[in-house]
Amino acid sequence: MRRLWLLALVIGLAHAQPSIEAGRELYMGACSGCHGATGEGSQGPSLLSGRAGRLSHQTIATIIRKGVTGSSMPDFPLLPAPSVANIATFVRSLTAPAISAQLPGDPARGRALFFGDGKCSTCHMLLGQGGHPGPDLSNIGAERSVHQLRESLRKPSARLEEGYRSATAVLPDGSTLRGVARNYNNYSVQILDATGRLHLLERRNLKSLEIAESSMMPPVANPEDLLAFLAKQSTRPPPQQ
Amino acid sequence: MKLLLLLLPLACAAQVTPAAIGNSPNADWLTYNGDYASTRHSSLHQITPANAKDLVAKWVYRLDGAKRLQVSPIVYDGLMYISNTNEMVALDARNGRQIWHYRAKGAEGARVNRGLAILGDKVYFATADCHLIALNRRTGGPIFDVPYSSFAAGYTTSIGQRGFVASLHPDTGKETWRFWTVPGKGEPGSDTWGNFPAEMGGAPTWTTGSYDPALNTIYWPTGNPWPDFYGGRRPGDNLYSDCVLALDADTGKLKWHFQFTPHDVWDWDANESLVLLDSTYRGKPRKLLVQANRNGFYYILDRVTGEFLHAQPFVSKLDWTTGLDDKGRPKVVPEKIPTPAGTKVCPSVRGASNWMSPAYNPATGLFYVVTLEQCDIIVASAKEPVPASGFRGTGNEGIPTEPGKFYLRALDVLTGNKKWEYPMPGPGVMWAGTVSTAGGVIFSGDDDGNLVALDAKTGKDLWHFSMGRSLFASPVTYMIEGKQYVSIAAESDIFTFGLFTPPTH
Ligand code: HEC
Ligand code: HEC
Repeated sequence: MRRLWLLALVIGLAHAQPSIEAGRELYMGACSGCHGATGEGSQGPSLLSGRAGRLSHQTIATIIRKGVTGSSMPDFPLLPAPSVANIATFVRSLTAPAISAQLPGDPARGRALFFGDGKCSTCHMLLGQGGHPGPDLSNIGAERSVHQLRESLRKPSARLEEGYRSATAVLPDGSTLRGVARNYNNYSVQILDATGRLHLLERRNLKSLEIAESSMMPPVANPEDLLAFLAKQSTRPPPQQ
Repeated sequence: MKLLLLLLPLACAAQVTPAAIGNSPNADWLTYNGDYASTRHSSLHQITPANAKDLVAKWVYRLDGAKRLQVSPIVYDGLMYISNTNEMVALDARNGRQIWHYRAKGAEGARVNRGLAILGDKVYFATADCHLIALNRRTGGPIFDVPYSSFAAGYTTSIGQRGFVASLHPDTGKETWRFWTVPGKGEPGSDTWGNFPAEMGGAPTWTTGSYDPALNTIYWPTGNPWPDFYGGRRPGDNLYSDCVLALDADTGKLKWHFQFTPHDVWDWDANESLVLLDSTYRGKPRKLLVQANRNGFYYILDRVTGEFLHAQPFVSKLDWTTGLDDKGRPKVVPEKIPTPAGTKVCPSVRGASNWMSPAYNPATGLFYVVTLEQCDIIVASAKEPVPASGFRGTGNEGIPTEPGKFYLRALDVLTGNKKWEYPMPGPGVMWAGTVSTAGGVIFSGDDDGNLVALDAKTGKDLWHFSMGRSLFASPVTYMIEGKQYVSIAAESDIFTFGLFTPPTH
């Protein structure tokens, strides 16, 4: 009796809660033509980054219902409220932290790659395991969306992480130092090298300093397993939905 | 120049050892109060009474969003670490350039952070929701993030309805022992509360303790019992509120305790620094512990046994007691127990001193402490206390015609006698402490937003700089590449000073 009642409650809740899956279906029919099948944007703007990531559920629902006057973003006044809620939930999920996403890849294979043949751990740390000078990835699943992670892996130089530009300095004794510039201005530069040493340097003492606009990180062609693994990296358990 | 430049990266590989912390503060500043003994006395001596006039601002670092930074920066090997609520940053300590910034994503609560710690390759801080976080000190990458108390149950760093001191393992954050500052039912001391439940007793541990490695003892001060101003429901001394606890560092076992204000109804937390020193006292070599307590008395105890040796007032506005007996227990003036109609009491609730850190210079034998001469009207309630309702047993009001006045006072460390004092312009906001240096200069904040440098022997005003901000933190000093610096947090900023040197190009 009690179990039946619980079951009824769960089904009831499932109905009341907007669903990402139901939203995706509606999105594919009504929105993907302008915003792209994965939200990457075409005639309409990308829903994966920029302003879209900062819109609340409520604002997205209002944009869907009322459209954006003076643009080709149409209004959908006849869509029932639960459908609007489902679509808004799906749109929000596009920029949600990766840890909340269901991903097709195999996290165990991703892990093996990360610490093995992928050589990721030669440059990155997970809770103190791994190397330098790439950014620490211990909390990356909670900080980045799936889209952002995928972009980081496929096109590392497209959006450089502030504080991780490749730096090459020629020291007063003529030796060359390579690493990432954790910070720099016209007077000083702070370089983290591959052994994890920090070099606090004054630029006037250097023979030369070059700061590259590209990443030292090699692109990853097929990132699905790594994505599934990275998405799980969080220093705290994910917040209850 | 060249040599130093190349040495710096090599030194970065070094690990911070307990022995190094024992030798701090020298070029580095490795604990909240600089050393285990909480003297805040640095061996640096480049800045002297003769050249302090040449101090200039070197850099200012702004921590976006920070309001009232209360941190004592930690400096090691060229890097400065600063903590704020749920975040920490590392700076190049020569120029204030940020090296990394760590925010504890998902941390709840907004309570102030009062500092951090360093050991081995890690820096540590506690979040407002009671997690201990360890970070790789060079990258800011997390090593662990573990809860040590329950935010949901009402705890926040470093306050809760029942205080405790806990020991957490530096490699894992796993708890090794815990000492509750309010004993549970049937435990020693529980008979000092009547029927009052231990879960509500208070006695929080909201400042940092001191440590004597030779005695393997941790000295931790505790706060006042709850409700603050109404003691009717908690008859007795209310152990271990307003105490110093001497705890075995390995087990957390209580070796001894001393209570400054039994059955406190004035909110006189004993969380002021506990300063440890060894000296000949009344003809005998002794290991001493001294404290300028919020209740207005300067205390000297034997830190091996906890024996009370001496106490005397360090403020003149003090009327709640006619004196202490030979065990250090105060004889309370009955008329000074707060009533529903309001009772004038000196010192004020803010206290004769508070958590602004004092300093002790063994060369001058002086103890430098920020003091407040003030009285308050305290109103006590006869209402039933309701926990977690903000109820404190009513409260206190200032007396508009008698604004308080702050002084930095230098006391003879072995008697408590005043050697000199530096009056502050006030009345203003003043939560800044002091740092003492072997160069013979004392640095302190004042209640008008200045960092001031005073002659340690005479109190003579040598230099000041207006930061234009209220102060809630104590200064620190350190040295890099042969240059001594002094830093202090002021609201959202870290200000750093050093002697003027002409720029080299
Ligand atoms: C005919 C093309 C088109 C269709 C169909 C369309 N949009 Fe749009 N959408 C746009 C354009 C163009 C904008 C930019 C409006 C502006 O100028 O601010 C936009 C803006 C938005 C925004 C605001 C994004 C931002 O960064 O401010 C959201 C959210 C959005 N659309 C969601 C949807 C959803 C959900 C659907 C399906 C229910 C949908 N759109 C259907 C073209 C379209
Ligand atoms: C040669 C060193 C190096 C290797 C090897 C390397 N990375 Fe990186 N990685 C970097 C650097 C440097 C950055 C920061 C610059 C940037 O944004 O590209 C970075 C950035 C990233 C980011 C984005 C971090 C963020 O904060 O958004 C991710 C995710 C990442 N790497 C994952 C990987 C994975 C997975 C591998 C293994 C397939 C890998 N990296 C291999 C150096 C490396």
